[in-house]
Amino acid sequence: MRVPLYLQPRLEAPLTSLLANRPFLHSLVDALGSPLNVLVPERIAENAERFLAVYRKHHLSGRVYFAHKANRSSALVRRLAAADPVGVGVDVASLGELRHALGCGVTPDRIMATGPKDAEFLWLAARVGATVNLDSRGELEQLAELVRKHALPRVDVLLRFAEFESAAGSQGVSGVRVLSRRSRFGTPADEVSELLSAVERHGDAVVLTGVAYHLDTTGLPEKARALERCVMLLDECRARGLAPRAVDIGGGFGVGYVADADQWEHWTTALSEAVLGTGPALTWRGHGYGLRNEGGTVRGSAALYPAHRPTAGPGYLDELLSLPAPSLARPSATLLLEHLYDLYAEPGRALVDQCGLSLARVLDVRRTGHDSGDYLVRLGMNAGDVSLEEHGVVVDPVLLPRTGVAEESGEDPVGVYLVGNLCLEADLITRRKVFLPRLPRTGDVLAFANTAGYAMDFHAHHAQRQPVARTVAVVRDGASWGWCLDEDYWPITRPGGALS
Amino acid sequence: MRYDSITEAIGNTPLVRIDPAVHGLRHIDLYAKLEMLNPFGSVKDRPAWNMARPLLEGAAEQGDTVVELSSGNTAKALALLAGMHGLRFKSVTNRMRVPEIKELLLLLGAEIEELPGQSECLDPTDTDDPLTRFHQVLSEPGSTYLHTDQYFNPRNTDAHAAGTGPEIIKDLDGRAPDWFIACVGTAGSSTGVARVLREHDPETRVLGLVAHKSDFIPGIRTIDEVHQVGLFDPATYDTIESVTSDEAIDGMLTLIRRCGLLTGPTGGAAYHGAVRHLRPLDGELAEAAQRRTAVFIVCDRTESYLSYVRRRRPELLGRSRPKHSAAALTDAEIRAGATVIGIEDARRWIGDAEPRPLVVDLRGPHAYAALHIEGSVNIVDELFDELVRGGLPFSKAQPVLLACPVGEKSARYAAVLSRMGHPDVRSLAGGIVAWRDAGAPLVRE
Repeated sequence: MRVPLYLQPRLEAPLTSLLANRPFLHSLVDALGSPLNVLVPERIAENAERFLAVYRKHHLSGRVYFAHKANRSSALVRRLAAADPVGVGVDVASLGELRHALGCGVTPDRIMATGPKDAEFLWLAARVGATVNLDSRGELEQLAELVRKHALPRVDVLLRFAEFESAAGSQGVSGVRVLSRRSRFGTPADEVSELLSAVERHGDAVVLTGVAYHLDTTGLPEKARALERCVMLLDECRARGLAPRAVDIGGGFGVGYVADADQWEHWTTALSEAVLGTGPALTWRGHGYGLRNEGGTVRGSAALYPAHRPTAGPGYLDELLSLPAPSLARPSATLLLEHLYDLYAEPGRALVDQCGLSLARVLDVRRTGHDSGDYLVRLGMNAGDVSLEEHGVVVDPVLLPRTGVAEESGEDPVGVYLVGNLCLEADLITRRKVFLPRLPRTGDVLAFANTAGYAMDFHAHHAQRQPVARTVAVVRDGASWGWCLDEDYWPITRPGGALS
Repeated sequence: MRYDSITEAIGNTPLVRIDPAVHGLRHIDLYAKLEMLNPFGSVKDRPAWNMARPLLEGAAEQGDTVVELSSGNTAKALALLAGMHGLRFKSVTNRMRVPEIKELLLLLGAEIEELPGQSECLDPTDTDDPLTRFHQVLSEPGSTYLHTDQYFNPRNTDAHAAGTGPEIIKDLDGRAPDWFIACVGTAGSSTGVARVLREHDPETRVLGLVAHKSDFIPGIRTIDEVHQVGLFDPATYDTIESVTSDEAIDGMLTLIRRCGLLTGPTGGAAYHGAVRHLRPLDGELAEAAQRRTAVFIVCDRTESYLSYVRRRRPELLGRSRPKHSAAALTDAEIRAGATVIGIEDARRWIGDAEPRPLVVDLRGPHAYAALHIEGSVNIVDELFDELVRGGLPFSKAQPVLLACPVGEKSARYAAVLSRMGHPDVRSLAGGIVAWRDAGAPLVRE
């Protein structure tokens, strides 16, 4: 085994310079406690701009919607509210997120309501004039009834479709069926006719502005097929005299968490060997991340986020748009452009790439038992505060020593298990052995990088009355950094209130 | 040679010596076992036939579908065998990354199912990965599938133990080679051949070659993937080494250009891996009076992998630049050479000019059919590109207005046509998008 089996995080500006400023980060944890979430609102605007640059490259118009569920922060949404209003919007998946986006200054014409919806959520979206991304015919009926009953203006709607494979297969265009995982969301594409009839019936209440899909896959061919089917569905709408003009391709563009391909490959190979018993154990109690040993053969599939990726985020979008559509054979971007359609995308994770850190103080370091070489490092946070494991993201934290420099002489890299502050055997922050450049000491801080997408506080809770992380927004202040509480961040002022 | 069925032509492939001037080994004779000369084109003909043979008759009575997880040669052989017995064949795969193979399978009448990609948002409650699901469907009572199960079926290995291995010994005048080199896919050929060679001579060394982890070589698994193969047993191999796609293509080129062996990248990988492994051992043999032998497998043929080569080494398939190429024009040349006309001017020109300009819409036919400028003709850009390479596609007396989505491609072609001597070709500024945004009419027919 190659020791240490690092999985070092991919770090870009501004996280690089923020992590270099150890006294600042320590002072934040000293003042605000552990755990602590740190967000860099400026970067989310830069990320949105990177996505829009891909649109421009392909001459496409349309909008990038931030999938708000990736992070509950106010700072991030307010920063987006101040970004290009034509190109940037917010995708909300609950009444709370809708209220929050409105309160952050995102105007309703830039808001799309998606996900499971209750009557209050539908009403407020319709009342203010947000676009509603409809999941089913039932939801359409419910919305139309609300609009009529409360005399609301007509609502812009998108129709979300799913299950493109059966529809494509029935055409008999080719003998290849690209299978997809079943999704809970969207209307099966072969029910388009009934759904469009319903849209026509409710023409007094809704205006069809586009069609949508969301596929939970990293596979480009499945998405290219769905995109092409959406272009065909829009064609069907046009033939009926409807005039929608947007294709919403959802999200799932991905983030690369691990910087180095070799590290990722060595670690995943070592995991297979550990599962087979031909290599040393790498995980707490031999956890296999979904892999199992059946008579010397590895079975199952690794429940891991593909943490090293050659292309992710805007690069992935570019690849998707460049991929030829399966039956019309033109690149997806060309297809949209030639049919005069706008592109909507809803990146969540990819839009908050490099936007945040989760910090935790080291509380205790000890050996697991007298006959074991393993160390337990107890942190001032729990598995709910940084839910990397829950999302299958495996990446090392960055050690921020309390004193001195990180690479102190005479200390060797070490593999440790990171455990949380809950009185539960299961509260491991990672179930894998994490390699660090040296053994941490009480008072050091571990920084989990790039946690703003889903990992930061997605599963945080008040169980056992442990403190839940506060969140701060940090902004560049000349050569140093300024900070304020997340709820106090506004993109027009500096921390302290002076106009920026 | 007269046969009653093509299946009788499976096996008994030649063993061909590689010229020492090519590989440079001074004390080792290197032989290629030309499995590409099997009738369906690959080493997989043997296991496919051996696995399917006892079941085909029964399957034909029940009208079963033959099914296999295969991205290539096994699928090809099984599709042909199924067809000979009046059966359907279905290939389930997540690795169909070589377009020619996919198209060839479709031509053979196969159905292809591609498994979904990896999940982007991890769902910890999702226990049934697509492969598990696949096996559940196969084992359901009343299932009408004949699953050959190449990764776990011992008849895969047996085909090589009964055929490939003994043939090598026979062609080496009753001796086993000192080294046997095979790429590991299903592990069937390496395991079966190794078993026979070692029974004959326990000193035979076996080198297994896998693909470099981040790389892709058709038909070879990576070191992680071999652990998912039921037939794979690490004890079969004295050494396991990895090969990159670049090295595989290098090896393939050597075998093609210098040895006359029309191999695919897998054979190239085997050759490259063999020579790389044997070279230092050859150096140590300087004192030994005795010559040694090594055998590697040339699994299949070149033709199906041209797009694989095109993607990785486009220069090997280079074409000369055509005379009139729109792609060759610089932005400055386009600006200088193209006459661009705004929406309002274009509408007047179309309405009033004598002769009326021909409006050419360069978009795809599906987009054109959905909405276009009335009276325009559709010549999709790819076709237009071919046309202008040969010469002017319009009379010089015919004014032409070119339109594309945003006015970029049309400007490029307007510049090319002007260079070719057309006196009045114009490009619609901002394209069909600007036309629509200006509220000008578009029709659907």
